[in-house]
Amino acid sequence: MVAAIDERRLTETFAALANPTRRAILARLAEGEATVNELAEPFEMTLPTISKHIKVLEQAGLVVRGQRAQYRPCALDAAPLEEVSTWAERYRPVWETRFERMDDYLKQLRPRRRAGKGDD
Amino acid sequence: MTDSGSTDMVEIERIIDAPLALVWQMWTDPEHFKAWYGPDGATIPVAKMDVRIGGARLVCMEVQTPNGPMRMWFTGEYREVIENERLVYTESMSDENGQVSSPSDLGMPEGHPLMTEVRVELKDIGGRTKMVLTHLGIPHDSPGAVGWTMALDKLVGLVSGLTGMPGEP
Repeated sequence: MVAAIDERRLTETFAALANPTRRAILARLAEGEATVNELAEPFEMTLPTISKHIKVLEQAGLVVRGQRAQYRPCALDAAPLEEVSTWAERYRPVWETRFERMDDYLKQLRPRRRAGKGDD
Repeated sequence: MTDSGSTDMVEIERIIDAPLALVWQMWTDPEHFKAWYGPDGATIPVAKMDVRIGGARLVCMEVQTPNGPMRMWFTGEYREVIENERLVYTESMSDENGQVSSPSDLGMPEGHPLMTEVRVELKDIGGRTKMVLTHLGIPHDSPGAVGWTMALDKLVGLVSGLTGMPGEP
């Protein structure tokens, strides 16, 4: 085995990145830390909505919040991105999702297959 | 540029609770293929497959975006076809006629190879099927099978400059 990639972590990272607002927030944080208010500025969204997006990024380990009580500025943690930075690893969750769908589809087919055979 | 991308591949092994011949059809019968391929929320309105060595394939993936449906086309050629055993095909982004997109059309620098190779190996294990999928890429920054990987390219590029992550110099 080449590298031990944490599958669950990778899935979380991809889920967090699969949203344009959250990618824009990360791009902003790549320039430096910012408060929730500052992050909300470019968007026509309410603060609670932006906070929800930040929470998703936090859970994926992409954003860390400072401890200063009032502002708790957000900062980028790029570590999870290292796992998706190789070309091939970006395809892994895509294929995994496809194969889950293949499994589901095969399950749907099964009763019909049995019924179609008519004997055992 | 490093050449680490040239060996870039992803390998996934699955045991599927279905007979070999049916799993083979999942890959080679367009109606079955359309039912499972594509990311969640996407549909496959077109899948043309001339499953023989040198035969062409053309697959359209339609995803819903805030600006309405977006269609992406992928073309390729079958390189190995051993029924119920081994299937190898290439994949490139294209237009609806199977004309391969040039790197600049996709916002990539010229000179980037855009073809990837998909290998499917099947083996019967007591009525179930062992499937090994290998997806080989040429460059690590070739365009992804889903639209947002391009946005991710930009993001990773932006971030790697700040953290010293391996990536584009």
